[in-house]
Amino acid sequence: MMIDEMRDQAERIAGQLRDRGVDYGDARVESTDLESLTYRKQRLAESDFQASLGVGVRVLVNGCWGFASCSGFDSDLVEKTVDRAVLVARAGAGVMEGSVKLSDEAPAIGHYDGPCVRNPFEIPRSEKLDLLARAADIMHASPLINMSWSNLRFERKRRAFGSTEGTLVSSDLVFSMPTIMAYAVHNDDMQNRGFQEGARIAGWEWIEQADMIFWAEKCREEAIMKVKAPEGPSGVMDLVLDGTHLSLTMHESVGHPTESDRVLGWEASMAGRTFLNIDDQEKLKYGSEIVNFIADNTIPYGVASWGWDDDGVPGQKWYTIKDGIFQQFGSARETALLVNRKHSTGCCRAMNFASFPINRQPNFYLEPGKEPITPDDLISDVNKGIYIEGRGSFSIDQRRVNFQFGGDMFWEIKNGKKVQPLKKVIYRSKTRDFWGSCDGIADERSFKTMGLLTCGKGEPMQSARMTHGASTSRFRNIEVGGGAE
Amino acid sequence: MTKDELLEVIEAVLEKAEVPDVVAALTESRDAAVRFGQNRITQNMDTFERKLRITLGDGSRKTVYSTHRIDVDAVPDILEKAMDMLKTASPDPEYMPPVPAGQIYPVVDAWDSRTADADPSERIEAAARAIGTAKKNGMEAAGLVGVSYENTAIGTSTGNLAYHRSTDAYMRLTLDRGKPSSFRDLSAEAWDDLPVDSAIREVAAEVEADENQKELEPGEYRLIFEPEAAGNLLPFIAWSMNARPADEGLTIFSGRQGEMVTGGNFTMTSEVNGVLKGTPFNSEGLASGDALWIDKGRLVNQPCTRYWAQKTGREPLFIPGTLAIEGDSGSVEDLVSSTPGRALLFRRFWYIRFVDQKELSLTGMTRDGVFLVEDGKIIHPVKDFRWNWKPLDLFSRIEKLGAPQRKGQISVPPMVIGPTAL
Repeated sequence: MMIDEMRDQAERIAGQLRDRGVDYGDARVESTDLESLTYRKQRLAESDFQASLGVGVRVLVNGCWGFASCSGFDSDLVEKTVDRAVLVARAGAGVMEGSVKLSDEAPAIGHYDGPCVRNPFEIPRSEKLDLLARAADIMHASPLINMSWSNLRFERKRRAFGSTEGTLVSSDLVFSMPTIMAYAVHNDDMQNRGFQEGARIAGWEWIEQADMIFWAEKCREEAIMKVKAPEGPSGVMDLVLDGTHLSLTMHESVGHPTESDRVLGWEASMAGRTFLNIDDQEKLKYGSEIVNFIADNTIPYGVASWGWDDDGVPGQKWYTIKDGIFQQFGSARETALLVNRKHSTGCCRAMNFASFPINRQPNFYLEPGKEPITPDDLISDVNKGIYIEGRGSFSIDQRRVNFQFGGDMFWEIKNGKKVQPLKKVIYRSKTRDFWGSCDGIADERSFKTMGLLTCGKGEPMQSARMTHGASTSRFRNIEVGGGAE
Repeated sequence: MTKDELLEVIEAVLEKAEVPDVVAALTESRDAAVRFGQNRITQNMDTFERKLRITLGDGSRKTVYSTHRIDVDAVPDILEKAMDMLKTASPDPEYMPPVPAGQIYPVVDAWDSRTADADPSERIEAAARAIGTAKKNGMEAAGLVGVSYENTAIGTSTGNLAYHRSTDAYMRLTLDRGKPSSFRDLSAEAWDDLPVDSAIREVAAEVEADENQKELEPGEYRLIFEPEAAGNLLPFIAWSMNARPADEGLTIFSGRQGEMVTGGNFTMTSEVNGVLKGTPFNSEGLASGDALWIDKGRLVNQPCTRYWAQKTGREPLFIPGTLAIEGDSGSVEDLVSSTPGRALLFRRFWYIRFVDQKELSLTGMTRDGVFLVEDGKIIHPVKDFRWNWKPLDLFSRIEKLGAPQRKGQISVPPMVIGPTAL
């Protein structure tokens, strides 16, 4: 189904909902093509294609939600789905008094095409397989590499949204993601190293820019370096963290705590709550004065930049943390009013047509330093510390305070210099202590991003996507080491 | 779709595919659930999906094509797209033809018609009762309650044809009053077997008992795991057990088959049609069966793909969706009252992740109830804390096991672990 037909379908369903007398209703019509090619070692292990399509219908009756979905676009099935959404909403309203109120947002009409220079679905499959084969061969050039993964994943997601309020929007998005991971085995130990920048809304040009061949060699060499390296030290020391590492740290310790549904307790049984309170907005000191986090669902390559969210609210840009002070929660139309905001920040998204849209993290990033500072400048002022690249083990409590992180590559810092690789490094901190200890942020020259496709939240579990980024930054006096003995 | 309608699509795929090796599976599923939080209903859903998955192979290459377009008339077009994928795939040195004919699929009785056809009002009322209890006690309720069903038909070009259907009723409930909280995870094949009201009452009482938490004092404690807590650790062992990664030196089980990996009172199995209901076949159409993985501490079997089994002289084995740990008798309360000295009682864990996959070392947080126990009596609740443990080490020091309880697709007893430094 073409995008115009999908828009017609969404508009038609919105009309059916009006006819049924609901207080509010919307329809999401989606079609997603997903191609995934995976090399395990030096063989094509998986060659998969998924063609996913369906409709999700959400209605409000007397302040109670009803949601139903069906796969496929069969008109009889869609009509039954509309009826089921209304039926469950009315059943809810029959049992409990409804309380859902949506923020007022101007109806939107439009279409958004994500950036895509070279459509990956038009790239010959032989070219994709050749790239994966070359990357695998490079990784396995050493006998110490016992295992490797390399994957190319391309997704074209076309979606149309229509509501009873007159919103009719659509988007056409292509997501491209390369993955490389090398596993070195030596002296009864195994260590791995991977490409960490993840997905972008982009075409084949992102695969070319990511340079899997360069990363295959780098992963091979650094996995071997790591498996032969001494284990990391324990104690209190300084950390210098690159953007691909910080992307996960900020996701867990800034992104999740600042979701509005968590402060309301809607995730209390699953993803958890937050240490923040509603009254902390524009008041609470979250980090040092140089810490600024900018949420931005308009970054072209950001995987949460969809034009409009699943409330039909446009992508926006705002400060989550400014000069170290927490500013505001990301919100959906339903949660905005409950966290004392007049309007949604456009953070309502569903995993797919079959999922109820919930409050999700936006793209957001740590603003680079404005002074000309390089990662080496930050390292030069560390007597004892560790430089970490990429993400590894990660865990945080349900209120998003107490965390422990590993990484993908570690270097010991002594007297202002990187002196040797390390392995098995973990560090622990508490969210506000950690961001409060940040005393150096490099300028935009070291800015790196990570596009994440698998942020899990909600019940039934939904995975969502968002991009994070940072320049290399320094944190003082962090507790390192002391994992399982 | 009826069983015959599902099988008709499968047979059409098998008949029309122009390659020798074909596996086709068609699944119809429905999941209807109410989500609640902050003492209000936040989602009320009824989702329906049909998905066709076709694996094509020409003797040296294979590809998998999945689609939501489901009807006999669409089959030629779907096959054409799948063939396009196949033609451009690379030859696979590990190519395996479909599973041989004559698979004998176990009969799994996991269907309850009333659950499959459940009216939305029952689940909404269950959520409303949890919310009502929470409000009455100055607490907040959050969770999910619902029913689902799944019908799957599968066929292989080697002549196997099978059908399986299952229902599931479930409730996951958290009540809290600020930091004091408790949690319950209920599941059954039939809605009528879900002890919703008793669980709501018990969880509310457990929140009361969780008031006035104190910091954990460092020291040595026995660890008492409620079934939920012990069950939280098991998937990490299961994920690490696969034969091939172990043989390739990637996991802690490398070269360990036949060796003791836990204490002699730890036995881990999978069952297909017992208390737990597994799946009668996997995505290849291979018949499932009960399996013994760790027998009194000894690793006796490992999940193994057909290719790796053929290469290493093993039998192909897979986890049929269930894990069961053998237990003894007695409740959590019995274990608590019989534990000497100082111990900690854990309700569940949260955000468990590998710290080191090769070592099978894990980190995680406690959640929804930790209690100090002294000489068999609960003294006071303890604030949540982070732990870094190796589960095989913990399960090597089990002092006592209680009676197993079902937690989703895991059957696991409460257990007492010997003195552990915290």
